[in-house]
Amino acid sequence: MVIGLEVHAQLKTSSKLFSSSPNQFGSDPNENVNFIDSGMPGMLPVLNFGCIEKAIKTGFALNFTINKHSVFERKNYFYPDLPQGYQISQFEFPILTEGFINIESGQNQKKIRIERAHLEQDAGKSIHDIDPKYSFIDLNRVGTPLLEIVSYPDLKSADEVVSYMSSLRQVLMYIDVCDGNMQEGSLRADVNLSIRKPGGELGTRCEIKNLNSFKFIRQAIEYEFQRQIEVIESGGVIEQNTMLFDTSSGETRAMRSKEFSHDYRYFPDPDLLPVNITQEQIDKIQHTVGELPSQKLERYINELKIEKDIAKIIIAEKENTDVFEKIHNETEVPPKLIASWLVGDIFAFIKENNLDVLSLLNKTKAIGELLKLILDDIISNKIGKEILPRVLNDQGSPSEIVKEMDLEQVSDSGELEKIIDDALKGEEDNISKYQGGSDRVLGYFVGKCIKATKGKGNPKLINKLLLKKLQK
Amino acid sequence: MSDIDIKRISYLAKLKLPEEKEEFYANSLKEIIKWVDNLKKIDTKEVKPLHNVTEKTESIRNDEVYKNNSVEEILDNAPERAQNFFKVPKVVE
Repeated sequence: MVIGLEVHAQLKTSSKLFSSSPNQFGSDPNENVNFIDSGMPGMLPVLNFGCIEKAIKTGFALNFTINKHSVFERKNYFYPDLPQGYQISQFEFPILTEGFINIESGQNQKKIRIERAHLEQDAGKSIHDIDPKYSFIDLNRVGTPLLEIVSYPDLKSADEVVSYMSSLRQVLMYIDVCDGNMQEGSLRADVNLSIRKPGGELGTRCEIKNLNSFKFIRQAIEYEFQRQIEVIESGGVIEQNTMLFDTSSGETRAMRSKEFSHDYRYFPDPDLLPVNITQEQIDKIQHTVGELPSQKLERYINELKIEKDIAKIIIAEKENTDVFEKIHNETEVPPKLIASWLVGDIFAFIKENNLDVLSLLNKTKAIGELLKLILDDIISNKIGKEILPRVLNDQGSPSEIVKEMDLEQVSDSGELEKIIDDALKGEEDNISKYQGGSDRVLGYFVGKCIKATKGKGNPKLINKLLLKKLQK
Repeated sequence: MSDIDIKRISYLAKLKLPEEKEEFYANSLKEIIKWVDNLKKIDTKEVKPLHNVTEKTESIRNDEVYKNNSVEEILDNAPERAQNFFKVPKVVE
């Protein structure tokens, strides 16, 4: 199968692309609409520079050629949620051309080429299920800035599509261009899919519109792939069609009436002048791009010596890296230790208590302190895990908790030796077993000693002292 | 010049033409296009494309929110409304 993706990313700006109405999700119906958005005659659109900035940032992050000259055109079609009667988009001269992104495909990296990305307006929302005879229209989304990112047909499986989409989402969130919230429609994909025999000619493609979750993307691709195979195998031909994915039945079906093929009659919007950007503006924006996920991953693995799998979990979300880097900057604990605690018990705590990862940002000092206590052998790893919830619930600083609960690790050899001697009393049978070559008995002894210290004995030291005694 | 598909053009323009008038409009349109086609005789090889007659660059605003109207003012222009929605004949694809 051969797949190309058109991804629509809503830009994280305060106001809309051509009007100063709020760009905001979840408001009351028609709350964020002004006379430009509602398509009143005589209103003039004025371009929001914030959108140009976000587009250029994306240009740097996805290796695009940034075009200093771009043109807004009208794409004409009629639908009630588009009161202007046309969508303002870029056609012949988009702001970004010829980019790429590296994605993971199985064990390998694969370069996916991106043909173009252009700025355009979003349409409003139609609600069809309130009244049997009427549709209700909410224009809040009209004019919301979108960046449409169009890939080449370089994707070969549902897995690759999901990998591409999540890499794209990750990058857009890192550079603060899009909030990545797919449920709210901030990131949606149109999938162009065709099939061919290995080495054969490209088949006719069908476009599945408006998929807004990884799950639906996968399901829609798998269904459409099977459908096309069945049509071909039963001797039919694939008609070029726009399809809709029915999320309840898991099926794709043809959407637009085929009476006339679409004719958008693009032409330069006479209300808008061509956009010319200067090199100074571009250079200034380049400084705001920041570290990209792939660069961060490399730095975590090579400089901070964090294991690849753990580093990947951290960089998966930008907010994870914010927390990790704050702890790292505040303490002298090896990054590797911070990373494994973060990904392990700390994230487990967050998940269990339904908390926001960012809530950790004002607990980084306490976490650092806890890890330092473990690193300095003042408490054991096990005790650390036990008191973690108290630390994260702000029930005192780690050292206070440790003192208060009398949890300091026993690392006094004299004291430990006494405990070991007690533990070995009456164990003559097991001692001779060990001396006869049974290593398992050693673990038993260590466990017995730690239990006798109520978990506070330093396991490394106990092990050492025990070995010495047993070898006598 | 290729023939004119008057049915398609009236569909795109959302105009309903009486059938007996179709030929008349098709011919008028052809005349207009023929006249405009005179422009093609001009040699434009050396002329850069122009996207706007003023040849200026887009005026740009900063990303700031400014609200100067209410839902009521917007819905005053609605042919029909239901609560705070525009109400239109059913459109389902």
